[in-house]
Amino acid sequence: MLQIIVQGLLLSGLYALIAMGFTLIFSVGRVLNLAYGAYLLIGGYIYFTVSQTLGVPKVLGLLLAAMVGCLVGLLKYRLLVKPLKGNHVAVEISTLILAVVVQAGVVFIYGDSSKILLPIVPGVTQVAGASVTYNLLAATIGSWAILFALYWFVRKTHVGRAMQAVSMDTKGAAISGVDPDRINMFTWGLSGMLGATAGVFFASYTQLSPSMWVAPLIIAVAVVIVGGIGSIIGTLIVAHIIGFMEVLAVAVIAPELRGVFTMLLIIGVLVIRPQGLFGREEL
Amino acid sequence: MGLRWYHFALWAAFIAIMVAIPEFVSKGTLRIIIFANFLAIFAISWDVLSGRTGYISFGHPFLIGIGAYTSAILTKRFDVPIEWAIPAAVVMTMIGGIIVFLPALRIKGSYFALVTLAFMELTYQLVQVIRPDLTGGTRGMSGVQTLTRGALNGYYLSASLMVTIALSMWLLMRTQLGTALSAIGMNEESVRGSGLSTTKLKLFAFLTSAFVAGLGGAFYVHYLGSIAPRALFDINFLFTIIVAALIGGASTIIGPVIGAFFLTFLLEYLRPYLPGAERYFIYGLIALLLYMYEPKGIIELLRKGWHRLFSRHSVETPS
Repeated sequence: MLQIIVQGLLLSGLYALIAMGFTLIFSVGRVLNLAYGAYLLIGGYIYFTVSQTLGVPKVLGLLLAAMVGCLVGLLKYRLLVKPLKGNHVAVEISTLILAVVVQAGVVFIYGDSSKILLPIVPGVTQVAGASVTYNLLAATIGSWAILFALYWFVRKTHVGRAMQAVSMDTKGAAISGVDPDRINMFTWGLSGMLGATAGVFFASYTQLSPSMWVAPLIIAVAVVIVGGIGSIIGTLIVAHIIGFMEVLAVAVIAPELRGVFTMLLIIGVLVIRPQGLFGREEL
Repeated sequence: MGLRWYHFALWAAFIAIMVAIPEFVSKGTLRIIIFANFLAIFAISWDVLSGRTGYISFGHPFLIGIGAYTSAILTKRFDVPIEWAIPAAVVMTMIGGIIVFLPALRIKGSYFALVTLAFMELTYQLVQVIRPDLTGGTRGMSGVQTLTRGALNGYYLSASLMVTIALSMWLLMRTQLGTALSAIGMNEESVRGSGLSTTKLKLFAFLTSAFVAGLGGAFYVHYLGSIAPRALFDINFLFTIIVAALIGGASTIIGPVIGAFFLTFLLEYLRPYLPGAERYFIYGLIALLLYMYEPKGIIELLRKGWHRLFSRHSVETPS
């Protein structure tokens, strides 16, 4: 029992981190970034190249991955999202195409086979009878730290409040002197950074493979939908619901069914309560 | 319906080309065209629903998969004759279409796309776990009864199926029904405001789309003779269908056919240079650039080119 709780908490922390960057874009830009999984892919593979193959210190590798993720996010906004001028369908389709392009690019450079990423923080400990790798523990603690920093940033700083304003009403924010374009740029960069960081941790939790972006994308989608748009707390809670559901499904029913309940939750919540469990009353 | 002489001429030319193709090309090319035909059917199915009504479906592999799996299971496990299995598969797919339709009653836009994506992933995972004795589990099924032997017969079957579907859908979309569906894509509220039942119209679009998807899926599995969950419920497969429809030109029916042929041949011509999955890199980039340059697709480019060539005075009007 305790084992399930520990595992659930750890997995949920990772999921919260994955979902965070996706939530930001969805609430500020109001577009569905289906290429979000590509950040995870890019982050994971950059870290793999820099730290594991070239032997650069791990912290530097992680930083570099985050920076490249940020750059990719900015480029994506400039080259893809902005020229499409908020046409949601076009953005969805073009980001989907981009995700497939990035995946194929990874196959092109690194090959089709999956790679094992060495743990970022090596070592194992026992917590309540469950073996916990320091790696996953570090990911969970890191994701909590990032989440709190983000919450503080969005609530208290000037830029964060401008982001909130743009997410509520773009025109209103523009009238009050906020430049929505700059805020959007900023958010896309931040989202890319978070995605790439999450990718490094996620890859060290599972493994590095060109198709590893689909599952986290679905989890991010589930967290955002069930949590509701623009709710950081909602994201955190739902990441835990999904994390625990997966751990329970694996432990109690069958490992093959780990994703099934996540899908059912997405479908159920969207049909019954489209605005999400914690979101604002709008669509 | 507003049919003009050139509509008849173009369709006659299209059918004539499809009939004449086997005389001029090799067996290998014929096999590629068969795949293009099936892709065209799937893209038309997507187009009837998403291209028209604006309800973007990311779950079309879900519908195609129901059709393919139903027919494969019926013929292989229960020895049902093919001529019964295919209609049964189409009916099952239409039931699947109703399942996809239910969320569309309440949600739209990005959310609808996400639900359908969730449907696809859900089936992918369930197919492997539930009754693997029927579905073949992760490895899928092989040795499914095939309808035809040889490239030539396969070509004629797939081409006639594709042309029939394309022509009937094209005619259907030229009726008032098609116009009403397009209107839903533009502004659903005003369609309801003008006294039409959007629910009935949407249900019709979903059922038609599912009908085509089921038919295509069932014939596809009886052409391939095998089926595997990862090849079917896959983002790359979904990507190819959607991109074929959009690159060709959404909500035109003939556009998806052009797009399907364009994409299939592009993929084949890349094969000598890039043998593996990295082909999708170039393929995706071309698709992305084309889509960013002209979101209305190849058919719009052709139309513009035609106007530039043959009606000079229309160019002079300042825009």
